[in-house]
Amino acid sequence: MDRLHVFAARLLGLFRKRRIDENLDAELRTHLELLTDENIRRGMKPEEARYAARREFGGVEQAKELYRDQRGLPALDMLLQDLKFALRGLMNKPGFAIVAILTLALGIGATTAVFSVVDRILFRSLPYPEDDRLVSFGVMAPFDSREFMLGPDFVDWRPRQHPFEAITAVEPGSVDCDLTEQNPSRLSCGQADAAFLPTFRVQPILGRNFTHEEDLPNGPRVVLLSYGFWRSRFAEDPRIVGKSLSVDGKSTFIVGVLPADFEMPTLARTDLLVPLAMGESTDRGPDARQHIVRTFGRLKPGVNPTQAAAMLQQLFEESLNYVPAQFRKEVSLRVRSLRDRQVGDSRQASWILLGAVMGVLLVACTNVANLLVARATVRQRELAVRAALGATRARLIRQTLTESVLLSVLGGFAGCWVSYLLLRLLVSIAPDGIPHLQQASLDVRVGFFTLGVSLLSGICFGLAPAIHRMPSELLAGKEFRCTSRYFLRQTLVTTQIAASLILLAGAGLLLRSFWKLQNVSLGMHTDSIITAEINLAEYRYSQPAQQFAFFRDLQSRLARLPGVSSLALSDTLPPSGGMQATFLSAIEIAGRTGFTAGTGGMIGYRYVTPSYFSVLGIALESGRAFAEKELLTTDEPIILSEALAKRLFGDGDPIGKSFRFGRQNRWRTIVGVVGDVKNDGLTTAGGPEFYLPWKEEQDGYYRRAYVILRTPVNPQAIAKWVRSEVASIDPTMPVTIEAMSQRVEKLADRPRFNAILLSLFAAMGMALAAIGIYGVVGFLVAQQTREIGVRMALGATPQGILKMVLSNVARWTVGGAILGSIGAWFCTRLLESLLFEVRTHDPVLLCSAVLLLLAAAFLAAWIPARRAMRIDPMVALRYE
Amino acid sequence: MTSPRGEVLQGTLGLIMLKTLDAMGPLHGYGIAQRVQQASEDLLKLNQGTLYPALLRREQRGWISSKWGVLDNNRKAKYYSLTRGGRKQLTSEAESWERMAAVIAKLLGAEGA
Repeated sequence: MDRLHVFAARLLGLFRKRRIDENLDAELRTHLELLTDENIRRGMKPEEARYAARREFGGVEQAKELYRDQRGLPALDMLLQDLKFALRGLMNKPGFAIVAILTLALGIGATTAVFSVVDRILFRSLPYPEDDRLVSFGVMAPFDSREFMLGPDFVDWRPRQHPFEAITAVEPGSVDCDLTEQNPSRLSCGQADAAFLPTFRVQPILGRNFTHEEDLPNGPRVVLLSYGFWRSRFAEDPRIVGKSLSVDGKSTFIVGVLPADFEMPTLARTDLLVPLAMGESTDRGPDARQHIVRTFGRLKPGVNPTQAAAMLQQLFEESLNYVPAQFRKEVSLRVRSLRDRQVGDSRQASWILLGAVMGVLLVACTNVANLLVARATVRQRELAVRAALGATRARLIRQTLTESVLLSVLGGFAGCWVSYLLLRLLVSIAPDGIPHLQQASLDVRVGFFTLGVSLLSGICFGLAPAIHRMPSELLAGKEFRCTSRYFLRQTLVTTQIAASLILLAGAGLLLRSFWKLQNVSLGMHTDSIITAEINLAEYRYSQPAQQFAFFRDLQSRLARLPGVSSLALSDTLPPSGGMQATFLSAIEIAGRTGFTAGTGGMIGYRYVTPSYFSVLGIALESGRAFAEKELLTTDEPIILSEALAKRLFGDGDPIGKSFRFGRQNRWRTIVGVVGDVKNDGLTTAGGPEFYLPWKEEQDGYYRRAYVILRTPVNPQAIAKWVRSEVASIDPTMPVTIEAMSQRVEKLADRPRFNAILLSLFAAMGMALAAIGIYGVVGFLVAQQTREIGVRMALGATPQGILKMVLSNVARWTVGGAILGSIGAWFCTRLLESLLFEVRTHDPVLLCSAVLLLLAAAFLAAWIPARRAMRIDPMVALRYE
Repeated sequence: MTSPRGEVLQGTLGLIMLKTLDAMGPLHGYGIAQRVQQASEDLLKLNQGTLYPALLRREQRGWISSKWGVLDNNRKAKYYSLTRGGRKQLTSEAESWERMAAVIAKLLGAEGA
């Protein structure tokens, strides 16, 4: 209380400086006059009396000084004074200030932009209370890259599990659903059980959660609206709860509205949340419909995921009994934090980008440190004078630090603009699937980060020149070459070179890997191919016959379009995955048994029309493609990919053999073998697959299909025609049209993103390092003007001088290159998981990076070195 | 510099100032200085300039308050007076001083005996 009082009084004193000073002056004057009067009364002469009064009073200025220290807050006062001084210093040298601020803006801006993206991935808490206790758990099996559970297992585990306070099951991904009232539209429906919201502790902002009864199969149809949908469709109508909505042609009761920051733990887009309605059945019989669900749990306090896995082991082993014996070895239990599940493989790339941008910041800071050291050298005399007038060392350091922090904060402000632009660039070139990227923005949290980085870097690069001891001889006024300062600057340049080299080496690897990816052989031709994806609405096309008829109709209409040279239909498209698949062990060849002990991994298959292979240019290795007439008969032809043929028959001839898979009892005849295509992304070797004819079958499933068109015409024009043809059959049908080359390019989006960013950072690092070298050499040449003049007067040739200057540069650069090479050797290992067909230790690439950097360094040194060459000895010697 | 005997012991100036204001009522800086010297029979040689920062410090703590006034021949002077908080402070400072003095006296007496 007391201290607060004093602080308030002092703070007030800060703002009324002049008045308080005047008052004090008046007070002291009166005091002295009274003393003088007294002395005169005692019989002194006026003059004498005045002196005596002064003597008695003591030092007037000291008293004022003490008073001033007591009046305000001396530390703050000093800071303001330092700031004023620093600002004046910067204004005096605008060139220096601009270069330093721009350099810092680049460094800090890039760091901020990257941070704002990776923050959501690595650090920021998820939008659920106590999110660190949320985990994803389930079993891992070869046919899915993420953990899942079968419905009956989940129902079985729920009452018997111990590690969790609550568990919940969610449909993997979102399901398309249609709003079937005025302004119909296609929406994404998330499905979750009644325990979902309580487990994640999400509270609807209006209404309530599903009840247990609503979550049963064939229960009442209810729905929770997402905030975005509530706003766009109902303009945030506060009385929406209790109204109904027509979804997929059925009236559905709105029970609540989800909060604005709500997101599914699977990150699937969700307009509506509907009950999963999985039921309580634990029937695992061959005919039971087993739901595949994603399962999440809230750990009890003090339980970690590893412990939870141990506690679930018993239940897992029981469930394992229901798994066919040959699969058991390939199934495992997995419990991991929700963040791990969401972030997946983005984590490593995020750390690498953050590390790389920190490297850029380091180079930027060393650059500014270098500039400041150079300035400090020029200001030696000024600082010496201040020291002589009584400034303590601490005071001088504080002054220097104030200057550098001011610079860095200004740089941080400018950096905000840089990061704003950079972030827009990042978002625009970023691939799909970087979690939370759309939310990345420069908010308060990022602002604090920027401020922290600015202050920290200001202190770091300011400390270098500040702690530098200045020799007392400086007061003699002689220019003085300080060897330790020279050494400091060398170290700074060496650091820059090393950091830039590491960045350059990393960028080189990513670029090379990206280049390889671009030239990977797909096994098909993607030029002048347009694809149209169509998903039929369930409520309008519920029967396979209807679905099939739609696509038949569409096919014949599109074939008549001008500019379409050929077309085909398929249910999925390479090279992205997502195709249907079966275990290798589920495949049977007539007269042979047992290819594999375990599951044998997954074999994909797709339904295609006969022209599929010719349209995509997939090579026919042997046999023939499907024939149109086969689609109308009961023939059951099948075509294998080369890899699958090799796997099943070795070098034998597969044509004519009988093939059966899965639960289908029909035998099919192998009619052909086609070349392999990349069917699971670009980086994996193409997996084996087989093709089935797209023909009408009783139990067929034709809701989704891709129309593949080969056309020499401008894709834009074709897209319009395709749309209008689709609309002429069904005007409400959404259709997604994309060029095949675009689809392929999208798969390389992430490597491209990483490669572009790292290259950008490497380029920034190198440019900054070159500017640094330019600055240092230029400064050294200016400092050594006299020495060079003497040397030339004594007969040194300009070439000799050039050699002298450049050999200096060579020493630092080569030192930096060696350090950087060692660093790169270790750092590039981290890139391993991001690389495709490129080894992390690529000597050729490293050497090219070194050469590039050396070239940049010498170019930067060349300009000032030439200046040294042209020094006129007469002018130089008269210089002082 | 003055002899060591004349230096006001660190910490006592505040007590003396408060006591003076308590005894004499509102006074200006000069008045306080004169009074301190008179009372100490010129034994305490006060560096009068240091009086002002000391006064300010106590004013910031709320122990004394100040008001501008006018002297006989139109001179401006600031009059300081004790506040209620200051009076409390004076009592406690005086007590601790007496305790201290008693201890010292006892120590010296014991040594003398």
